[in-house]
Amino acid sequence: MRTHFDVFGLKRAYDVDVPALEKQYRELSLQLHPDRVAQASARERLQALEGTTALNEAFKTLKDPVRRAFYLLKLHGIDLDREDAGAQKDMPLAFLEEVMDLREALDTAMAKKDLGRARAMADDVEARKKAALTQAAESLRTLEADAPGDDGQELVRKASHALGRVRYFTRFLEQVDAFEEEIQA
Amino acid sequence: MSKNGYLQIHDPLKPKGQAVGIDLGTTNSLVAAVVQDTPRCVPVDEGDALLLPSVVHYAKDGGVVVGARARALASEHPTDTIASVKRFMGRSPDDAETRKLGHYLFAPGAKVVRFDVAGGTPVTPIEVSGEVLRALKRRAEAHFSTKVEQAVITVPAYFDDAQRQATKDAGRLAGLEVLRLLNEPTAAALAYGLDKGSQGTFAVYDLGGGTFDISILKLVDGVFEVKSTGGDSALGGDDFDRAIAQRVLETLGASEAPAPALVAEVLAASRKAKEALTDASSVEFTAGGQTHAVKREDFDAWIQPFVQKTGTVCRRAMKDAGVTAGELDGVILVGGATRVPAVRRYVAELFGREPLGDINPDQVVALGAAVLANLLTTADRQDDVLLLDVIPLSLGLETMGGIVEKLIQRNSTIPTTAGQVFTTFKDGQTGLDVHVLQGERELVEDNRSLARFTLSGIPPLAAGLARVEVRFQVDADGILSVSAQEQSTGVSQSITVKPSHGLTDEEIEQMLLDSIDYAEDDIQARQVREQRVDAERVLAEADRQLGEHGALLQDGERAVIDAAIARVRELMKGEDHLKLKEAVHALDEASRPFIERVMNQAITQVVAGHSVEDY
Repeated sequence: MRTHFDVFGLKRAYDVDVPALEKQYRELSLQLHPDRVAQASARERLQALEGTTALNEAFKTLKDPVRRAFYLLKLHGIDLDREDAGAQKDMPLAFLEEVMDLREALDTAMAKKDLGRARAMADDVEARKKAALTQAAESLRTLEADAPGDDGQELVRKASHALGRVRYFTRFLEQVDAFEEEIQA
Repeated sequence: MSKNGYLQIHDPLKPKGQAVGIDLGTTNSLVAAVVQDTPRCVPVDEGDALLLPSVVHYAKDGGVVVGARARALASEHPTDTIASVKRFMGRSPDDAETRKLGHYLFAPGAKVVRFDVAGGTPVTPIEVSGEVLRALKRRAEAHFSTKVEQAVITVPAYFDDAQRQATKDAGRLAGLEVLRLLNEPTAAALAYGLDKGSQGTFAVYDLGGGTFDISILKLVDGVFEVKSTGGDSALGGDDFDRAIAQRVLETLGASEAPAPALVAEVLAASRKAKEALTDASSVEFTAGGQTHAVKREDFDAWIQPFVQKTGTVCRRAMKDAGVTAGELDGVILVGGATRVPAVRRYVAELFGREPLGDINPDQVVALGAAVLANLLTTADRQDDVLLLDVIPLSLGLETMGGIVEKLIQRNSTIPTTAGQVFTTFKDGQTGLDVHVLQGERELVEDNRSLARFTLSGIPPLAAGLARVEVRFQVDADGILSVSAQEQSTGVSQSITVKPSHGLTDEEIEQMLLDSIDYAEDDIQARQVREQRVDAERVLAEADRQLGEHGALLQDGERAVIDAAIARVRELMKGEDHLKLKEAVHALDEASRPFIERVMNQAITQVVAGHSVEDY
């Protein structure tokens, strides 16, 4: 299967040089984009559409460290974006407690229309998200760089748990954003 | 069949005349084309005007008039003269935007807005826009003396799928191949970027007659990458007009269900007042038989809620793009409503810098569209210009409990694709209902419903075994298409798409057929119709003046004028528009001394401050 890394001719890895990726994206777009072949045959135009669609998807995924981490995990067989993913049920109990506490505190702040409290929580959650992403990145780096052998499954599990938290924190932050817009409107 | 007996087929490589860029605006529309490497706007209305008012008048005899002439007919025929039709594109009759202050009659009972106008069946916004596009096409053809069949048409960046589809359909109705639907702010950036050779990150603030857009773009080496876009497709200069008009109607004691003719008159006067307030600090005007005065500071206060709404949208767009106002290299102003001083002040404050406006804000979008039309019709491209645009609103599917699952996030670069796998929940289930939505909200009812379809022909398997993947593909125009495949068998599913607010393909086909049938549609017939409408207006005016001011006629004058009127009436029955035009002109000439006397008397009375009755 052609991976997003293959689209850019890159070796599969957690770390990506984003400015270089951006430059390459512009160059590849100039070659592939449907607008470059607007006068060509229908077949060529369809190819351009498909090529550019794949390029856009690959660029969007690789330029963003969070999306990139989720994508690497998916290449290891765990797709956290799927609603029916068994991986979510497999999260540790401590995480479920963390979620319930945050949920309750945010509900209280929102009921009181307390934007200051919600923002303070968002800052705290932002920090937790960053820490979780760093954890996931460490596991993924090791997974990609070495042949981890028997440790492989354990590393995938670690990355999956860390990214499960990242995913929850991201949703939490989106909720605070929506609340903020609602208050300001 | 040609002479040698072979069937002639269309040669796809044959040149298709002049490719143009069209700014299909709420208030005015423009055509531009690149000629000798320079984009220029083309005269499209009387007096070589570059702006064609986006106003369409439907006459009783089935004739259609577009532009300044149509606008002149609005107060006399308010319900048969459609202005600002762009506000209605892709909308349903019960949309809030459809119900704003206006003077139209809507035909009842349809999912699509239909205007009840003179001369036959009700028309949809797509058909009305089609008339504007057809007029632009014709006049560009006359200017270039060649065919115009390919166009880039601009749309507000914030237009949703239904509004884009409606615009594309209008292009098809007008006989145009739509090379691309181009977002208006991106078009403006293209015109600016190429003209000035700019590099960096720019905000394009585009406040038109009925729509507001903000786009944040990064320009690097000829590549225009849109980072984010936001807007409100129901906010614009029209709202400023209505803000004045509402107060005027209150003063007149007519704010409850005013007559369409009064609304049309008051709206037109309010628009002129708004324009005057760009340079003047106060303005006086007459409407509904009374004089009204508006100070600029009052006007500024009335429009403040609308202006502030744009600020919220701008802040979100900057956040989505990951830039702060300080990191921008420039702010570009587009759209007629950015001439309003309060808007300029607000933008300068919001972005902490003076905005750029050195390309005419009315023309810049059409010029950018012309540049793209030229690039897209160049066979062997050597340039390095490329637009990478985004989809303005997220696309998703309805899931259990009326919740929307987003498949494509807003501000994703297009073309793009996404898929979602569904499973059956009953044994032997062979169909699945799918509901496609656009918007940012969590609940189905708060988003725009784009289409519903039924996936049929799923192989009957135990519950949860059949896996159907629904794929969204968004093309470079920002238009969505949907496909589906059953994964275990690889069988493609047949999909019936029912657009929630648009017209079906069959309806569009029928309109195309109708317009072809109806159109002995050659220029001749249209000119006759237009000239007839003009003649009618002149006759009505002559009748009125003769009735009211008959006392001012001199000996023998009446007979000459009556003869000229009779000549016009006679020629109106015929098909020769040139002779009719001459007769109308002759009537003008014959009645001029009389009309001048009427005018002089009116001025004398105003100067004296008294009317005749006072003596």
